[in-house]
Amino acid sequence: MSDSSAAAAVGAATLPAILVEGLGKVFASPAGLRDMLRGRLFGDPVTALSDVSFAVRPGEIVCVMGPNGAGKSTLVRILGGLLLPSSGRAQVAGIDAGAGTAEFRRRVAFVVGDERSFHFRVSGRGNLHYFAALHGLGAAEARRRSGELLARVGLSQAADRRYREYSRGMRQRLAIARGLLGDPQVLLLDEPTLGLDPRGARDLRAFLREEIIRGAGRTAIVCSNDPTEARAMADRVLFLEGGRLHAEAPPDRIEAELGL
Amino acid sequence: MSAPAASFPWFLRVLVAFVRRELAAVGAYRMAFAIRVLGFGLAVGSLMFLSRFVGAAVNPHLAAYHGNYLGFVVIGFLGTEFQQVGVSVLAQRIRVAQMMGTLEAEVATPAPPWMVLGSPPVYEFVVAALRSAAYLLGAKLLLGLDLSHANWPALAISAPLIIAAFSGLGLLAAATTMLVRRLNPVAMVIGSLSFFLSGVMYPVTVLPGWLRLVGRLLPLTHALALLRGTLLIGSGLAELRSSLLALLAFAGLLAPVGAGMFAFALRRARVDGSLSHY
Repeated sequence: MSDSSAAAAVGAATLPAILVEGLGKVFASPAGLRDMLRGRLFGDPVTALSDVSFAVRPGEIVCVMGPNGAGKSTLVRILGGLLLPSSGRAQVAGIDAGAGTAEFRRRVAFVVGDERSFHFRVSGRGNLHYFAALHGLGAAEARRRSGELLARVGLSQAADRRYREYSRGMRQRLAIARGLLGDPQVLLLDEPTLGLDPRGARDLRAFLREEIIRGAGRTAIVCSNDPTEARAMADRVLFLEGGRLHAEAPPDRIEAELGL
Repeated sequence: MSAPAASFPWFLRVLVAFVRRELAAVGAYRMAFAIRVLGFGLAVGSLMFLSRFVGAAVNPHLAAYHGNYLGFVVIGFLGTEFQQVGVSVLAQRIRVAQMMGTLEAEVATPAPPWMVLGSPPVYEFVVAALRSAAYLLGAKLLLGLDLSHANWPALAISAPLIIAAFSGLGLLAAATTMLVRRLNPVAMVIGSLSFFLSGVMYPVTVLPGWLRLVGRLLPLTHALALLRGTLLIGSGLAELRSSLLALLAFAGLLAPVGAGMFAFALRRARVDGSLSHY
């Protein structure tokens, strides 16, 4: 590596993996009957995020905590490029999140544990093959990569069972495998252990942290309202409340910050 | 690994994966498939008796079709089905994907939206073409449908134009469905008007002049003129020029307008967060 490229690499390494500046999101709620009688097409606007700014270093795991409705899912969807902000900007893996480019979607994986996001009547393997094609993989490469990822998340034995027969934990693992199809630099995880039993949640957190994130040198944002999850996974915790960044703390200060 | 450029081979890979996934799921819908086949059998049976009834009289409106009412009405229904596929599939696919939650996961992949959403219409058009061929063959073998005058090369040239015009309508319908978040209003309006004015069950020559003019504003009217002209009369492209030009105009107008509206609707979904709900 030449001096200039080495310097560029060092520079790139010190750039934040995620940079959020003055991010805001206001939703226009649908008009109710009273609004329409007043000649209004929309109801009162709902502010989901307001002036949120933070940065995440490469390789860092940051947990975003907050009560229901705090704006966690809105934030992670903006970072994943699935939602456009009303104000401010977000840069993830060096690309503007609102740009919606294919390269952005390759570098950033939004791992949603939403069990509705797979085809229920198709096997886990079949579902992964389909998403592999959406990542541009040919049939042989899709088979190889899907098999490798299914093994990695511990679903090899159940790969050919229909998705609807999967337990909640298996569905979460399949969602993680899907998120890794493109070998992303940044993982955005929205409540990854939601609904799992305590032991299943503990195992999944350890697996995510050590193998999927740390082991591959990835950066991750984990949205959760579970202090146990934040302690087990995060290097740093951000607290959202009412759409605003309320505080920031290391994981061992969560209880103090939350007043528990 | 870098993101591959959006290309036709990539789209083909997505299409093949989509078809494999659909076929894997079809196994779970055997009863629905059986009901569909039964429904078709009953429809063909009723058409056969209707054609016997109508065909018994000398009908000047059917003279151009060699008095072949069975062929006339079978093609009327097949054309309607093609329009239904074009206008409804994309909108329905988006609605189901929003309700199921798969749309958000799919657009989060590197594949551009046209690739994600382009597979279902292509697949459904191919299935509809195969189904139509089977219906025509079945009607010929079982009911004696007369296709002896058919001009197959002219049909092969006309069919892509018909599909292009219906696809343009489909983009408009999908965009409208995304924007208003209601059942496909375009399909409902176009479907009802077309059944009434495009000559599905009866030739448009029975309509009063002003209604015939309104009917000419509907793509199905020209699609049926092409299908019947090539399959029943054996017309060549020169004789069908006005219908071909009309469909070319529909495709040229509807496809870019529909694509623009659809891009706008997708952006709106990213603004209001409706990618993951309906």
